[in-house]
Amino acid sequence: MVENARSINIVASILLAIGILYIVGPLYLTLSTASQSYEYILTNGLAWVPGTELFTNMAKVIHDTRIPVQMLNSMIVAFSNALATCALSFLSAYAIVYFRIRWAGVVFALILATIMLPLDIRVITTYQVASNIFSPLNAVLDVTGLNALTANMFGAPVHLELSVLNTHFGLVAPLVAHGTGTFLFRQFFLTLPKDLFKAARMDGAGPIRFLIDILLPLARPSVASLFVLTFLSGWTQYLWPLVGASTPDMQTAVVGLARLVPDSDGQVPDFPMIMAGAVLVSLVPLTMIALLQRFLVQGLVLSEK
Amino acid sequence: MSSESSLFGHCWLPLLLVAPLMLLIVLFFYVPVFQAFYWSFFLEQPFGGGSEFVGLQNFARVLSDPEFWMAGWRTIVFMLTASTLAVAVPLMLAIAADRKIGLSYAARNILVWPKGIAGAAIGVVFAFIFNPFVGLMAPLNALFPGLWNPGMDGTDAFVTLVAAHVWSGIPFNFVILLAGLRSIPPTMYQAAAMDGASPWRRIADVQLPLIMPQLFLTFVLEFTESITSVFALIDTMTGGGPGGSTTLLVYKIYIDGFRGFDLSGASTQTAILMVFVLLLAACQFVFLGRRINYER
Repeated sequence: MVENARSINIVASILLAIGILYIVGPLYLTLSTASQSYEYILTNGLAWVPGTELFTNMAKVIHDTRIPVQMLNSMIVAFSNALATCALSFLSAYAIVYFRIRWAGVVFALILATIMLPLDIRVITTYQVASNIFSPLNAVLDVTGLNALTANMFGAPVHLELSVLNTHFGLVAPLVAHGTGTFLFRQFFLTLPKDLFKAARMDGAGPIRFLIDILLPLARPSVASLFVLTFLSGWTQYLWPLVGASTPDMQTAVVGLARLVPDSDGQVPDFPMIMAGAVLVSLVPLTMIALLQRFLVQGLVLSEK
Repeated sequence: MSSESSLFGHCWLPLLLVAPLMLLIVLFFYVPVFQAFYWSFFLEQPFGGGSEFVGLQNFARVLSDPEFWMAGWRTIVFMLTASTLAVAVPLMLAIAADRKIGLSYAARNILVWPKGIAGAAIGVVFAFIFNPFVGLMAPLNALFPGLWNPGMDGTDAFVTLVAAHVWSGIPFNFVILLAGLRSIPPTMYQAAAMDGASPWRRIADVQLPLIMPQLFLTFVLEFTESITSVFALIDTMTGGGPGGSTTLLVYKIYIDGFRGFDLSGASTQTAILMVFVLLLAACQFVFLGRRINYER
């Protein structure tokens, strides 16, 4: 199709240039500031040109703060979040799509409803549950009168207590309790031809064999997409790790980074060091995006179809 | 949806497959949601100090608190401005990147980067860039003292919040909208061009109507997103200040619950916010969803 589209192409190019500048600008300023000394920032303000202090500032972050151990926490949280979400939602989507069960619709609706109310909204009571994950069980025993019964028979009611606060499990579990993965895999299973299933049955494949030998290899790209997506979301979480872990050695890197900024308004904070921290904390997810961008984009599109 | 023979007939295996995820969802989603509503009718003492049924007193207390209404109002203002911008900016970029021009390949790559940067991290960075003494506006501030100070002026602080929110919202909305644009069949453009529609005209008459489902979707998700994910930005950029001018509801709930140990008040506000979010989504589906034609 040949036509004169010069005016629109010029406008589009300008828009894209502004958009790229908007995204890259703050990232560039972070990097250039991280490579300057504190004194330079005090006299010159924002660093427009990169300096030579990047590794000095990074070394300061690594030696003087808990960021390294916190990055290890972030790694554990993000990785287990991705792994658990992929595995558990794959299994539940499999059960919902490939089994003749009457409650499939109800279970899927219950899982999908989690998308409506994000963790950040229900953080107060999620914290209470995490501080004793048996509290719902205790409440059920109390309400049903079973506890009054045991109190009569054995002299004391059942009261179990187990806090998952300040543990990696506690940081990860509420993130996994989310429906996006199940939704994504269900959509994927529904696009597969029915004959695939019939052929596998005819060859004598049982549920487990069908899952491992046929569905899993086919779903590899979807698994990869969901993995990248949930890894990034686990790494970038803020509010839940902030309340779920109270000691610096259990906090995640993003929370640790936010804690680098001093609360007092007195003097100008050591911005080069903080920016070096921001660079360090963002290094892992950005590398991941650079390497696995195809899966990230696919994941974003798939999760909303 | 499928014939009987195309499904497995096990009875206990599917239960076993669903159980792990369901257990987590019940424990960390349904119990907390239920508990927020339950606690809003009780006066809860912190540190497990017992509870007392108070009926609607918590709601009466929260609803008569001007701070709550202020935070609610700011939440709505933020939701409308930030989510409109967070959809409109990626929309323009997506329409531009959909054209075959030199920059579009680079843009498709670069515009997803923010997905890897935590809200709190970009909050720390934006707080520095917009710092009135050493940041971007410092030279202007030297010329016109008091022109820009997010630490003193509530509007300035609000603007920096919106700018940071739009920044981190670009990847998702851009990718979704671009995917929508790219799924428009080329024959549509050709037909429109044959009828004499210029490239500009085709934006309004072909592209926008055909990506309505994606546009609707980004709006629905962005409304909830702007209400909740703003916490990381507030906590790192403004701390709710100056003078409470950036204390949105999600931040106020955190402060009341974790700093003030007012569990009942925080739960009541959580319950109100949940109902608001659910109503909002329902309204959007009823009023907007119906008008959108999903047929291609």
